[in-house]
Amino acid sequence: MIIPTTRFGPLVVEEAKFITMERPILGFDRLRQYILLPGQKDSPLWWLQSVQNPAIAFVVVNPAIIKPNYDPEFPDEVLELLDIKNIEDIVLLTIVTICSRPLRITVNLKAPLLVNAESRRAGQIVLDDPNCPIQYDIVENRECHSRQEPAIAHLLGKIAHPVVGATAG
Amino acid sequence: MLILTRKLGETIAIGDEIKITFLAMKGNQLRIGVEAPRNIPVHRGEIYQLITEQNQQAAAIDVELLDIWGKMKSGANV
Repeated sequence: MIIPTTRFGPLVVEEAKFITMERPILGFDRLRQYILLPGQKDSPLWWLQSVQNPAIAFVVVNPAIIKPNYDPEFPDEVLELLDIKNIEDIVLLTIVTICSRPLRITVNLKAPLLVNAESRRAGQIVLDDPNCPIQYDIVENRECHSRQEPAIAHLLGKIAHPVVGATAG
Repeated sequence: MLILTRKLGETIAIGDEIKITFLAMKGNQLRIGVEAPRNIPVHRGEIYQLITEQNQQAAAIDVELLDIWGKMKSGANV
């Protein structure tokens, strides 16, 4: 099918690659289907584009790049909801906010997106941990790793939509 | 807004699947138990509000702003 998007134009997408938000992204209750698209070449950033709303897309990053010791615990009910049978199937993504003036890039460590790479069921999970800020400033906290761990890169590739297939026009 | 008076231990049912129980009161603090289906997230109001606002700001991102990441990374000690 073809979906319109504000940023990337019309995209030819495969429904089999849709990521379904079993727990919606807060504030976007009705948007349940997304596709994960690679960002720029060699960038650790990905786009999470809404299938239903052309204007809604989030920039996401695997938090291992931002904060290597980030290792949140998830309640069993969440793992059950997303039908996660193996911990290895979990892909964590955090939502990036970029403001240009003044330059500020933050990631939301308080409410990561948990994706089951096998079933593509996902949800935004709010953590109780007070050490996980909603606005973790990555300019101030330069712990960034430039490379993605191969295992995570593999999983991201698995859930991502294949190369953006823009149609003519 | 529907306003109800409840005693401790009493409940409020919202639809078939959501139940709220008033467990205890200490000073101006209330302890409340919420039972809801797994797909309905339950959060403290102020946290919900903050995360919703952050999500809305994030969703409005401009494609060009992604360049900033590259520039920042090239200048960063990584």
